[in-house]
Amino acid sequence: MAEHRVLGKSVLRQDAVDKVTGAALFVDDIQFGPTLLHAKILRSPHPHARIISIDTAEAAKVPGVKAIVTGRDCRHYIGLYLADRTVYASDKVRFVGEPVAGVAADSIEAANAAVKLIKVAYEPLPGVFDPVSGARGREGLVHETPAAGDLWWQGLSCIKTKSPGALLHENLGEYQCAPFIHPVPGTNISNHFKLRKGDIDRGFAAADVIVENVYTLPHIQHSQIEPHSAVAHVDRAGKVTLWASSQSPNAVRKLIATAFELPMNKIRVITPYVGGGFGGKAGVTCEALVVPLAMRLPGYHVKLTLTREEVFQATFVRQGLVARLKTGADKTGRLVAMEAELFWDGGAYTEYGVNITRSGGYCSSGPYEIPNIKTDSYCVYTNHPVGGPMRGFGMPEIHWGIEQQMDIIAEKLGLDPLAFRRMNALREGSLGAFGGPMEGATLADTIDAVAAKCGWGAPVPPASAPHKVRGRGMACMYKAPSMPPNAQSSAILKLNEDGTVHVLTTAMEIGQGSLTALAQIAAEELGVAVDKVVVTLPDTDYTPYEWQTVASRISYSAGNAVLAAARDAKAQLLAVAAQVLAIPAAELVIEDGQVFPPANPARRLAVSDIAMGYLLPEGAIGGPVIGRGSFIPAGITGLDKDTGQGDKPAAFWTYGTQVADIEVDTRTGEITVLKVTAAYEVGKVINPAMCKGQVQGGIVQGLGSALYEHLVLAEGKPLNSDFVDYKIPAATDTPEMDIILLETSPQADGPFGVKGIAEPTMVPTAPAIANAVYNAVGVRITDLPLSAEKVLAALKKKQARES
Amino acid sequence: MEVFFPRTLAELWPLKAANPESAVMAGGTDLLVRLRKTGERPPAIIALERLAELRRMSIEGGGLRIGAAVTIGELAASEIVRDALPALWQAAAALGSPPVRHGATVGGNMCTASPAGDTLPPLYVYGAAVAVAGAAGCRRLPIGDFILGPGRTSLAPGEIVTDIIVPLPTGGAFSAYYKVGKRRAMAIAVASLAVCIVRTADGAAGKVRLAWGSVGPTVISLPAVEAFLAGKRLAPDVLRQAGAMAAAAVLPIDDVRASAGYRRSLAGNLLLKLAALGDDEQEDGR
Repeated sequence: MAEHRVLGKSVLRQDAVDKVTGAALFVDDIQFGPTLLHAKILRSPHPHARIISIDTAEAAKVPGVKAIVTGRDCRHYIGLYLADRTVYASDKVRFVGEPVAGVAADSIEAANAAVKLIKVAYEPLPGVFDPVSGARGREGLVHETPAAGDLWWQGLSCIKTKSPGALLHENLGEYQCAPFIHPVPGTNISNHFKLRKGDIDRGFAAADVIVENVYTLPHIQHSQIEPHSAVAHVDRAGKVTLWASSQSPNAVRKLIATAFELPMNKIRVITPYVGGGFGGKAGVTCEALVVPLAMRLPGYHVKLTLTREEVFQATFVRQGLVARLKTGADKTGRLVAMEAELFWDGGAYTEYGVNITRSGGYCSSGPYEIPNIKTDSYCVYTNHPVGGPMRGFGMPEIHWGIEQQMDIIAEKLGLDPLAFRRMNALREGSLGAFGGPMEGATLADTIDAVAAKCGWGAPVPPASAPHKVRGRGMACMYKAPSMPPNAQSSAILKLNEDGTVHVLTTAMEIGQGSLTALAQIAAEELGVAVDKVVVTLPDTDYTPYEWQTVASRISYSAGNAVLAAARDAKAQLLAVAAQVLAIPAAELVIEDGQVFPPANPARRLAVSDIAMGYLLPEGAIGGPVIGRGSFIPAGITGLDKDTGQGDKPAAFWTYGTQVADIEVDTRTGEITVLKVTAAYEVGKVINPAMCKGQVQGGIVQGLGSALYEHLVLAEGKPLNSDFVDYKIPAATDTPEMDIILLETSPQADGPFGVKGIAEPTMVPTAPAIANAVYNAVGVRITDLPLSAEKVLAALKKKQARES
Repeated sequence: MEVFFPRTLAELWPLKAANPESAVMAGGTDLLVRLRKTGERPPAIIALERLAELRRMSIEGGGLRIGAAVTIGELAASEIVRDALPALWQAAAALGSPPVRHGATVGGNMCTASPAGDTLPPLYVYGAAVAVAGAAGCRRLPIGDFILGPGRTSLAPGEIVTDIIVPLPTGGAFSAYYKVGKRRAMAIAVASLAVCIVRTADGAAGKVRLAWGSVGPTVISLPAVEAFLAGKRLAPDVLRQAGAMAAAAVLPIDDVRASAGYRRSLAGNLLLKLAALGDDEQEDGR
């Protein structure tokens, strides 16, 4: 393979100087002058209630108030995969914090005063506060084979519903949904994903060891540094312009078009820098709330910036999960069967969450080959905050249990957990849980790389104090981009007169470095220096379509579109150069902005000479060069509704392994993560510094979810919706990190072989730490987070058992 | 809302008198958070940060006088505090984060009177006194009399805290502050313990002072546990007995940060940190 000039180099981020100097503009920074109005949202205090009446008369009298809207003003149902929500609550509220009314006023104070004066009469309804009761209430759960020991969920601390039977969405059967989503009307189950591979009974009959456990995870939040913000403007012709802190400008446009019956060419979405996404700014969040206000106030700019409390309560959270996993292996250590029942706490609306439960379902084997699998993955409505995408999209959740199961079985069989995983790892051609062959399955490579780097098997060094104990644990992972089979990307590449380049895409820079990665792909292919390429931020009136910046798919999918656009532009340049130099295009190359035949480099043209065409004696040729690139993944097929079996449900799979070295303080239960060694196989590294940065960030976010993060909900009311009591890791919690990036299996249809890396980075961290805790002190904790309090309680229990 | 920045105490008293409903701000790291959370809007805020008289630290008659508006960051940077009052120094370093420590003050931590206030357990074990002044004059009272309950002090309307006076322990005293929070920095104490122990010539504990944070409505002192340890070598089994006494005696609550049971366990287990004292080794603050 030819050596790359730009790819694989840690070039400076395109946004680095803007961001470190504070010059970067975010939505809330943009100045709109005297036309600016401030919006505030009246939110439901009830987790579940019928709205009897809303009286806005007093609120409207507050000086400075310009408009008030309620659910009466926007009755269309919207949603990414399942249209189950309206912009403002119309007949019922289903979670604490749900928008009930919006006010626009000329000051925040006036808007706040007006919100307080809106009178809403509610009739409280019984609520659903855990997914197992929610699925079972009203005979929701139809068991194929009701087993004797079917009360496994009783006594779990997360089972909180007092009176099962509440139904959240009476009209579930009427909601529109994607063809691969399967709601069960008349129940709280908004998606039931079924997977049946092989023969589960024969599988368990062949097992010498069977391990069954229940693993639970609470709701957590993305905690982006930038709270969500949106500004809407409607001109006299009815054109809507939105400035949004969004990962998904085109999805915002589409959902708003549906919600307000607008043609897409009358909605323009502009997204400046976004201060962190992690999934929490995907789909549509607070953007839709300001649109009906702006529609009543042509010419004004209506702005809503959420408070941190609102971000916690009323934007996406990661869904909770109750997972019952039963895993069997024969005495040689081969996995033979697995049964999974996954109850996802989807929250009040699952328009996005339904697809997380599908991904969790078809990946439920983890990165291992298991011949017999039975999985039921249920997305369950609860009166909790709205579950949505968060880094990993179901994978951190299912691997939390799967990876502890692996350690437990290995111990029962007397096998080294690393060797046991390696033996069962998915390999090239292995049949995945969905029954199709795996391509580029490189888990074993990552296991080997981590083992060598961390010295797996070497004695654990002594702890730093007599009352502290050290331990080491590992976990593996796999992840595919979870997206519709036809998620598209496109790019336009324009050459300027001086040979510099603009790349237009609607891929979103959310801190992950997409501007720089896409610039490197364009520069590499076009043959110009990377500092000659500027990738613009999205503006849907001018930048071409991008499905969403999610699913770790931008370098792959938008990268492919940019690569195609660069090839298109290059072909145009070479065609002109061939005529000017009188050398066939096939004999020309472009390097560092110069077009020349390698056989005779002295005969050359600068790209800037031909970027706008060329004037020959006989007249002009060519013209301004504009490259066009589109990408849609090929060959992704659906899965059978009853068996979850199919050929290729996803574009690619990324594999990785992490080993955590920790220390447990036996007096306080505190866990210190000393070091994480991680290896990922990414096909091709575009920018090593950014790629390592992704892994570091994922490990730290995974560490937060492992040790600290838990949005505490009491009857649906969040008790810690602020950073005083919702803790994410601080700098002092950050462990030493040893990161290995492998390029053993370039992705056939990835640009230069690229696979996605962003989300996989956080997947194995929590189970690796849990396994390390067991290794250190012999207690197994199956309920996240691994708080010091839980560890100390488990240690006490163990001591009591042993004495 | 008006905000005043008096430069002298002489300027302050008329402002206080003219604005009886005003809030006093000595850093604002608690006050501003509270105002945002509750929506309270006092008619005026009187900031103490430019009062030179409240920003001084000096040695006076065997004690360190710390002005109420001295910041926690200044405490953490003070060599006198580091060398003579290590528990207070460790507490200052464990409070909040660098930006919080730049704003937060000793007097503010005192007047917030939270059982989780990091500087308070050390000030209890050192036997600190609180100097209070008003237009009418000054008074001085022990910290245990100044703090009455969670968020409640004996400050009368019109009064402010001007100084904290901390007696310097005699040579050979060992003092330390141990804190367990939800994470390593910028976290409110789930439980904490300050100790000040004067050892006898044979290595046993002489005088013992202990104060626990976050395990009761105020900082908790347990004279019975202090008396139990006095005169004994701090062997692990002795400390375990003392820990059991402490765990039974503290008055913690359940909240979103931790259960009462966990706090009781910590109240006892933090005492085990003193086991290392027998070897003249000091454990780290964690």
